[in-house]
Amino acid sequence: MQQQSPRPADALAVRGLTRTYGTGPNAVRALDAIDLAFAEGSFTAVMGPSGSGKSTFLNCAAGVEQPTSGDVVVAGQDISGWSEARRTAFRRRHVGIVFQGFHLVPYLTAAQNVGLPLRLEGRRPDRQHVARLLARVGLADRAGHLPGELSGGQQQRVAVARALVAVPAVLLADEPTGALDTSSARDVLRLLRSSVDELGQTVVMVTHDPVAAAYADSVVFLVDGRVAGWMSRPTAEAVAGQLARLDDLAGAAVAS
Amino acid sequence: MTGLALRSVRHRLASFTATFLSALLGTVLIGSFATLVETANGPVSVADRETLVVMGAVVGGWGGLIVLFSVASTLAVAVRQRAAEIALLRAVGTTPRQARRLLRSEALVVTAAGAAVGALVALGTGRALLALLRSGGLVDASVRYAGGPPSLAASAAGVVLVSLAAASVTGRRSTSGPATTALRDAASNRSRLRWWRVVLGLVPVGYGVALGVVTVTVTADSTDQYAAMATSGSSSILVGVGLATLSPVLLRWSALLVRPALQGLGATGHLAAHNLTRRSHTLSAALAPVVVFTAGTIGTLMLVGIDARTLAVPVADGDTITLLNTVVTGMIALFAAIMVVNTFAAALAARRGELARLRLLGATPRQARTAVLVEAAVVAAVGVVVGGAASLATVVPFAVARDEGVVPDGQLWLPPLLAAAAVALTLGSAAAAARRVTSTGIRAGLAA
Ligand SMILES: Nc1ncnc2c1ncn2[C@@H]1O[C@H](COP(=O)(O)OP(=O)(O)OP(=O)(O)O)[C@@H](O)[C@H]1O
Ligand SMILES: [Mg+2]
Repeated sequence: MQQQSPRPADALAVRGLTRTYGTGPNAVRALDAIDLAFAEGSFTAVMGPSGSGKSTFLNCAAGVEQPTSGDVVVAGQDISGWSEARRTAFRRRHVGIVFQGFHLVPYLTAAQNVGLPLRLEGRRPDRQHVARLLARVGLADRAGHLPGELSGGQQQRVAVARALVAVPAVLLADEPTGALDTSSARDVLRLLRSSVDELGQTVVMVTHDPVAAAYADSVVFLVDGRVAGWMSRPTAEAVAGQLARLDDLAGAAVAS
Repeated sequence: MTGLALRSVRHRLASFTATFLSALLGTVLIGSFATLVETANGPVSVADRETLVVMGAVVGGWGGLIVLFSVASTLAVAVRQRAAEIALLRAVGTTPRQARRLLRSEALVVTAAGAAVGALVALGTGRALLALLRSGGLVDASVRYAGGPPSLAASAAGVVLVSLAAASVTGRRSTSGPATTALRDAASNRSRLRWWRVVLGLVPVGYGVALGVVTVTVTADSTDQYAAMATSGSSSILVGVGLATLSPVLLRWSALLVRPALQGLGATGHLAAHNLTRRSHTLSAALAPVVVFTAGTIGTLMLVGIDARTLAVPVADGDTITLLNTVVTGMIALFAAIMVVNTFAAALAARRGELARLRLLGATPRQARTAVLVEAAVVAAVGVVVGGAASLATVVPFAVARDEGVVPDGQLWLPPLLAAAAVALTLGSAAAAARRVTSTGIRAGLAA
């Protein structure tokens, strides 16, 4: 059930978000004064050509990277000026992360991986909560398996369960289906969709795949570190068409 | 293949530095003593020849065993940690044969470079060692240094050959089986010890214990005061090296024992407990030198102490023997210490990605470092206990033989002191290595 409130607050918002790598003539402006807001319970896809700043955006939103300037507001708190330790503590409580590389801890079982963010916070994960999450991602019978004993799709589903364990304000996914075959990808996308529809989870997902983007409520397009457009109720065809135009745009920018 | 090997060496600098350093130091140690043997073949008196050969062959031989063991285990760590990369190469079409050849070429490039530099250094340290013997009056002042290409080349070649053998054995293991399972299993490591490794470990343990029994039953009653030392002196090192060979199982069993206690330490204890039990192979490479360090130093220094207290009549060779023992101990201690530092540096460099992953999931840099330190503490504790037990193989028989009884009459402060040194060394190396790998950004670490 989607949680109904008169006007949903923003789970994540960035204002004037800028991230520059390097200095001097070699400096790369990966993000250039971006303003974006993601309402609670929304599912947004972030798309754009390679190198347009999508991963940098997610990393700044997750507090993994410090922005060069601008604000990152998660669950009402501006984390942009915080120390790494403080951002880390905040991240494990309020941000769920699913990246392309699965990022499971190789020597922990599926269930232990799911419970890890709670443990890092000093809490003992509730067995039933973990079991419910594993059941939700269809891996109830794999709780005791190590990542090396799971398929790529199964590992990514464990990562989704782990991202949900702390009931985060926002779940950030960077190409979560990038390394998966079509049917495993569909499983993961359905999981993300159902977490939005059934748990009211906020999801922001970077993807290159128009079919994946069509699972979202809306799509943001980035080009050269700037927001280049929005699309709501995306279909795979419409997204693919828009991407082709953006590639021309980015190509023109490179040529000029 | 060589081009690829060179590039791969450059990419994995930390782990190759460890291999390079262990080959270098190994050659320095073996080479320095080997030059003594070469010098003995020159124009020297019979007595001097005997001293030089005993020093060179016996002491150098024991040291050499430890050195080769360490070089092999460092290389094995370096190869095993690349399982994922090897799996990837195989997935893109590299045959197991080519992959093994790549591993061997890398081992050859790195250890040959290390051994070459080591041989050059040994030219100088061999000279210094001889000078030490001369100034101590152990050999005649007229003895001329005659170390050169034969002894140094043989030492370097020995180190390189053992490294190649270690790379082949480990490489065979990490390239057997289909490419897909290799990719998946790369991360976890539940494999058991091979039978030959168990044999390789049990034989020296058995031999060392047998020597201890011989000391108590036979040589204790000998008229030669040094007969008992000859049979029991090396037992602690033998048993230590044997147990070090079995360190993966020792570490896994110990970790299972202390797991409940570790779980009580919260998240970091939880992580350490599971890493220790499920990936004991990697960490056991650090355990091995701690065991050898503890066993060798406690065993030999206690032996020297007992000897000094109980020697009835001062003997002509007394000084040489004490110096020999001290040099052996110093050498083992130094080498084992460097190996501990080395292994932690290599092991943690390879875990950079994993530690960055933990931080991505919400572990503070401090938590990531603490998890590593808890693992190191278990390694240190197991190493000190196992090494201490191994040292008994020398201490007890020799103390009995010299009529001090099962417990020596003095220097009982020595074992705890050396154990504390071993623990400090282990924790210090782990802390330094952990600090280095967690000081970079998370994103850079994930990409590593
Ligand atoms: N550590 C870094 N140092 C220098 N430049 C960097 C660094 N990380 C990213 N960049 C640059 O910042 C820009 C944005 O990178 P980012 O990874 O965010 O792109 P992306 O949109 O995620 O691309 P892709 O779709 O290929 O993953 C790129 O030009 C990249 O080269
Ligand atoms: Mg990216």
